[in-house]
Amino acid sequence: MIGDNAWLDALVRLLVIVALAAFVVLALTYLERKAVGRIQMRLGPMRTGPYGVLQSVADMIKLLTKEDVRPTTADRWVFELAPFATFVPVFLTLVALPFTDSWGVRVLELGLFYFVAVSALTIIGYIMAGWASDNKYALLGAMRGGAQLISYEVPLVLAVLAVAMVAGSLNLVEVVEAQGRVPIVVWQPLAFFIFVTGGLAEMFRRPFDIPIGESEIVGGPWIEYSGIRWGIIFGFTEYASLFAISVFGALIFLGGWDWPLGRELGWAWQLFLMFIKTSLLIFAFFWIGATFPRLRIDQLMSFCWKILLPMAFAQIFLNGLVLVYEWPDWVLLLTSGAALAATVYLIYAATKATPAHRAALPEAV
Amino acid sequence: MLGVLKAMATTFSTMMRKPVTIQYPTVHRELPERNKGFPLLLWDFDVDEPFCTGCHACERACPVECMTVTMKDNPLHAEGKSKRRKIVDEFWIDYARCMRCDICVEVCNFEAIAMNNSWAAQELSSYDRGDLVLDLNQLLAQSRAKKIEPWVAP
Repeated sequence: MIGDNAWLDALVRLLVIVALAAFVVLALTYLERKAVGRIQMRLGPMRTGPYGVLQSVADMIKLLTKEDVRPTTADRWVFELAPFATFVPVFLTLVALPFTDSWGVRVLELGLFYFVAVSALTIIGYIMAGWASDNKYALLGAMRGGAQLISYEVPLVLAVLAVAMVAGSLNLVEVVEAQGRVPIVVWQPLAFFIFVTGGLAEMFRRPFDIPIGESEIVGGPWIEYSGIRWGIIFGFTEYASLFAISVFGALIFLGGWDWPLGRELGWAWQLFLMFIKTSLLIFAFFWIGATFPRLRIDQLMSFCWKILLPMAFAQIFLNGLVLVYEWPDWVLLLTSGAALAATVYLIYAATKATPAHRAALPEAV
Repeated sequence: MLGVLKAMATTFSTMMRKPVTIQYPTVHRELPERNKGFPLLLWDFDVDEPFCTGCHACERACPVECMTVTMKDNPLHAEGKSKRRKIVDEFWIDYARCMRCDICVEVCNFEAIAMNNSWAAQELSSYDRGDLVLDLNQLLAQSRAKKIEPWVAP
């Protein structure tokens, strides 16, 4: 509380989170280009400022000053509001995240539930943009995005639910405190795997960037956007949601600000822990994105419904067994690890299987 | 599925490697000795005059007719300092027209003309086409400043 004034307090907290989001977005734009550049044995941006650190500022100035074009046949208000409809949910998720044990904009009793509920609202912006652009590629992308986001939301929510079962709470602070000794990723590797996969799909990052695939549907729902609206979508929404999901994953899987020694060493160490864990997740997302080519929409769907979803249910069922019979914690690791191995085998078998029409052909000599 | 991990390992090891990028306008890669830039004239430091006698051999051989040469009596020969009776008076090469075929260098009897193997022959962009027609002084400048080591056929 600042000065016993609830309004002032809320305002200051919101300003801090807005500034943080803006800074993180600028930093991540630059860092992703650097990381992907290095992965491709390039240098990445080098010209704007020392080692190109001002590149994202230059990009921002360019996007701000560019002409904001709207097609004459577009549905005006829906078209112009769609970027905000994609960005606001991401911002709402940032509001509910605790960054240390005592600092977050607002710590909610149902923080876990709130996060997954609000982050899924992004799809409204995608559908709005796709519909209002009056462009078949935009509509196609929006439809793909809708299908993908709704499909992957289900295993993602179930994975988060498995965490809530083990931690015994939906309050993010309590979830973090429940991992004081051991982070949940140790007990729930399968849930973590599902979370990372679902998170990638939810952010439309490679290899799950089917709705916004440049080479297939030229940018999907954002095909008609330019200038600052495109900047809001691409700069802000993409990287802010990457940041939000990574903070969320660090909180519920990697022990957040508590493990190790967070409670004993105070807020500076807690912030440092959060920074390290979030950076690790963000780097993993960059790395995965720079490694794998884009999937096909049917592969994506069958992977979600045939493998991820049953395995998420299996995880919850196994957790239920362990928790009801009050078996020791390491049984959680055993069951979840076995289920993860089974998932890996399923994916392996599915990728190895010969399609029926090719099995019928004679063997090539 | 193992391929997924292998792919991740590959990209990670690539990331640890040194980037291959050369920061071009600030860093120039070394050019090969026999790089064919545009032709230029060489300076004879022994007598302090061009090697070129203005014999028109290159001008006649040039397939795109980018050269113009005129010849005069050599004043240094009259003073007895030079063995060349005739010497080049004016020499123009239109770099916009030259196709860097190397024929002028091949036909020259005095090794007076050479292909520029330095970066100076690569960065010639100009706003005016006329700037690319070089006269005798411009053609000789690089050699007089000793900023070129022309490749000579063995």
